[in-house]
Amino acid sequence: MSFIIPPDFSDDEVVPEFHAGATSRTWYHYVLIAASLVFAAVSVGFVGTILWNSLPEWSHHPGTLLAGSGWQAPLGPFGGLAMIVGTLETSAIALGVAVIIGLGTSISIVFLVPRRLRNVIATLVDLLAAVPSIVYGLWGFLVLAPWMLQTVDPFLNRLPFARVIFGNPSQEFGTSLLLAAVVLSVMILPTFVAISREVISVVPQDLIEASLSLGATRWQVIREVVLPTAKIGLFGATFLALARATGETVAVALVAGGVANTQFHLLYPGTTIASWIATQFGEAQGNAVSALMALGVLLMIVNFSLSLMSRWLVVRQRKVLAVV
Amino acid sequence: MSDITELDTPAEVGHQMREEIRQISVRVRARRQLRSRIMVTLCAVALAITAVPLVLLMYQLFRRGLPVVLHAGFFTQLPQTPSLIAPNATGGVSNAILGSLVLTVYAAIMAIPVGVLAGVYLAESDSKLAAVLRVVAQTMAGAPSILMGLFAFAFVVRALHVGFSAIAGSFALAVLMLPVIVISSEIAVRGVPSTLREAGLALGAKPHMVSLKIVLPAAVTGIVTGIILAISRAIGETAPVLLVIGGGYINSWKPLNPVSALPLLIFEDAKSEWPSLRTEVWGIALVLVAFVFVLSLSARIWASRKQQAR
Amino acid sequence: MDQEFKTHVETKVAASTTPLVRGASAMQLKNVSVAFHGRTAVRDCTFDITKNRVTSLIGPSGSGKTTLLRALNRLHDLTPGAKVAGQIMLEGTDIYRGDITVTELRTRVGMVFQRPNPFPTMSIYDNAVSGLRFNGVKKKAILDEAAESSLKSAALWDSVHNRLKVAASNLSGGEQQRLCIARALALDPEVLLMDEPTSALDPIATLKIEDLMMTLKQRVTVVIVTHNMQQAARISDDCAFLLMGEDRAGELIEFDTTEKIFNNPIDPRTLDYTLGRFG
Repeated sequence: MSFIIPPDFSDDEVVPEFHAGATSRTWYHYVLIAASLVFAAVSVGFVGTILWNSLPEWSHHPGTLLAGSGWQAPLGPFGGLAMIVGTLETSAIALGVAVIIGLGTSISIVFLVPRRLRNVIATLVDLLAAVPSIVYGLWGFLVLAPWMLQTVDPFLNRLPFARVIFGNPSQEFGTSLLLAAVVLSVMILPTFVAISREVISVVPQDLIEASLSLGATRWQVIREVVLPTAKIGLFGATFLALARATGETVAVALVAGGVANTQFHLLYPGTTIASWIATQFGEAQGNAVSALMALGVLLMIVNFSLSLMSRWLVVRQRKVLAVV
Repeated sequence: MSDITELDTPAEVGHQMREEIRQISVRVRARRQLRSRIMVTLCAVALAITAVPLVLLMYQLFRRGLPVVLHAGFFTQLPQTPSLIAPNATGGVSNAILGSLVLTVYAAIMAIPVGVLAGVYLAESDSKLAAVLRVVAQTMAGAPSILMGLFAFAFVVRALHVGFSAIAGSFALAVLMLPVIVISSEIAVRGVPSTLREAGLALGAKPHMVSLKIVLPAAVTGIVTGIILAISRAIGETAPVLLVIGGGYINSWKPLNPVSALPLLIFEDAKSEWPSLRTEVWGIALVLVAFVFVLSLSARIWASRKQQAR
Repeated sequence: MDQEFKTHVETKVAASTTPLVRGASAMQLKNVSVAFHGRTAVRDCTFDITKNRVTSLIGPSGSGKTTLLRALNRLHDLTPGAKVAGQIMLEGTDIYRGDITVTELRTRVGMVFQRPNPFPTMSIYDNAVSGLRFNGVKKKAILDEAAESSLKSAALWDSVHNRLKVAASNLSGGEQQRLCIARALALDPEVLLMDEPTSALDPIATLKIEDLMMTLKQRVTVVIVTHNMQQAARISDDCAFLLMGEDRAGELIEFDTTEKIFNNPIDPRTLDYTLGRFG
């Protein structure tokens, strides 16, 4: 169950009992409202506290945090460019891989896998989406990193022009932005598949049969009818996967290398916003704490926009299907 | 109506076209068929590609983790630091297991009452507040967990002067669980058939009694399922507790003491220079994954059983 | 009962106005059975679908009308566990023969469904020519011509010709269904299968579609499944009556001209059904 997908309440017959009149304003009503206000307060406090604690950094040198490099703890200046670039690089690659592979996977699950197996696979996918991220990080660090170091890196180095993209790595552990992107794509795949499978499977059977009856091949049905009909919802799933990729912390902290260099060569170590917060916070003092909080604000802005966007898209997708 | 009477059926035109279409269709048929076959095969390949890393991960987890878990004292002993004299002495992880349980229990105590009641409110009210909170809950449910850690640090550790402690970690996890519980409770309450509610009202029961005595019991399966899923998510989270629990090396359940946690131990020991510790983390990971799987599977099975019983 | 009988008699007249001469067969069914996971849903149906006539399949729910209809363009191919036995001949060729290309068969035997189902992401124009595009027709001239002629044949051209680029979902239910008919007609099929095409429509839209079918049969053979006896009597020339047998499998009870089925059936069960005594 993914909780960021807004549940569909559109055809609920709501019986808002608190509108029955003044008589229903009982203690129970106030308890419910109190709980809701607590929740609202926690949410406001959540945003407010992080914002408030980041203010010193924003008032000192906001430009450095957004575009400068070098992280001079504990006094500053604190450049955030390396983290921002690292986040963009790893998330973009991970998303590209996850969307292409995930779309194929979802299509297979819905249209190719026999019905009985389908539920089993769906459950497995949901379980994999629930595996704690630290476990993926551990696997990436202890299994994939040595493999990258011994097999993948030398291979990539032999390819012509590869150094332009990947650099010339001589890393001790095999940790790199590329490895972070690989681990991230494995992590967000179950999330993307869980949602896109759902979105694809609610495309009405009617439309599929109609296109078959017009002589469409299996792929034409998928390409011309199923995917366009599910398009908006698939974008929602993509944004959600992106939100998860950008916010991923400990797994990336283990495999990205944790070096604050603005790095475009993918086989060099780098870092991301979230993982930088996690690895630096332990030793952070004074100004550094507020700089990390400011990075947190950046992360929050990115994540909330992606979530809201995906929510909006999923709601719109329902409207499209409601017309059918 | 008029368009029917004005209708002219271009029968001959149509049949000429039939020939033309058939010819084109036959010409491109092989290509279309081949293309379809290739693309569908590629989709199947994608399914296989998805499965490979995940199967590998599970395989490694069991192969490397199982011997560690079966090792005597893994669950009961405190951790030891390996030394040159005893490079394999890693002890157990009892402090982290206790820490994880304590963190989760305190978090659940904080999050469940507020979350369930707020969820019921969202389901039964169509006020502005409810509409806003619904969006807030969904946005919060997707927030990166490291932010919960920052919040707990700034608020509990620093502003309240509590310091690095179990309660600070629980607070972070509670903030994490809260929106999930709110959303699932709302869904569960809304899932109760309105006829049930109307029947209660028709019998003259007061609205709040109907809500308490009829709707909530009917929705309890969904609510509990949501709570279990929230707990299973919280127990595996590293980032929020990393910043605030301090990492205690003794068994402690006291809210104000620093504690350790299973995910935190993995994060710290994975980078250790001692091979024995790097082996041990697989055991911890296995325990963690087992926890999460058992919780989510039991939630699923329970939910589907209840649904069938209905 | 009286009231019902009256309409019954009235509708009979319309049916009998079509000539009763038998022409060439468009499709021939020989001992056709359909089974799902080994359980027979329709058994041993044998009858001919005559060219340029409307053949209706009637019978109570569960008698396998729709199942039989869907066998005629091999739509069961995608249902796991479905098996079709016997022979279904289209122009003398068994459509279940191994070397038949299913996609091509379906361009020759089109289908219209219960609920109007235009593709929601496509415009009216794109819907109308979707079948042609699926089959590789790309020339704009052909597409334009086909769109116009098929929309005209579906009696939709006059009301939509100036908004062809509008999303199909903007049409009313009846218009959507006529668009679906146009979509099928654009491929110029030999046979058009219709699965209760008016069951989701209001009476006026239903009437329009019925009128349409009467004119359509000049260029395409129509097979229609309907629950509505009056409809079958009004529009069809031939009629197949199916009934659920003892083992819950549908069986063909009687096949004849609609006039015979409604006025002078051989089997007493047919009479009972057409008089509305059960079902």
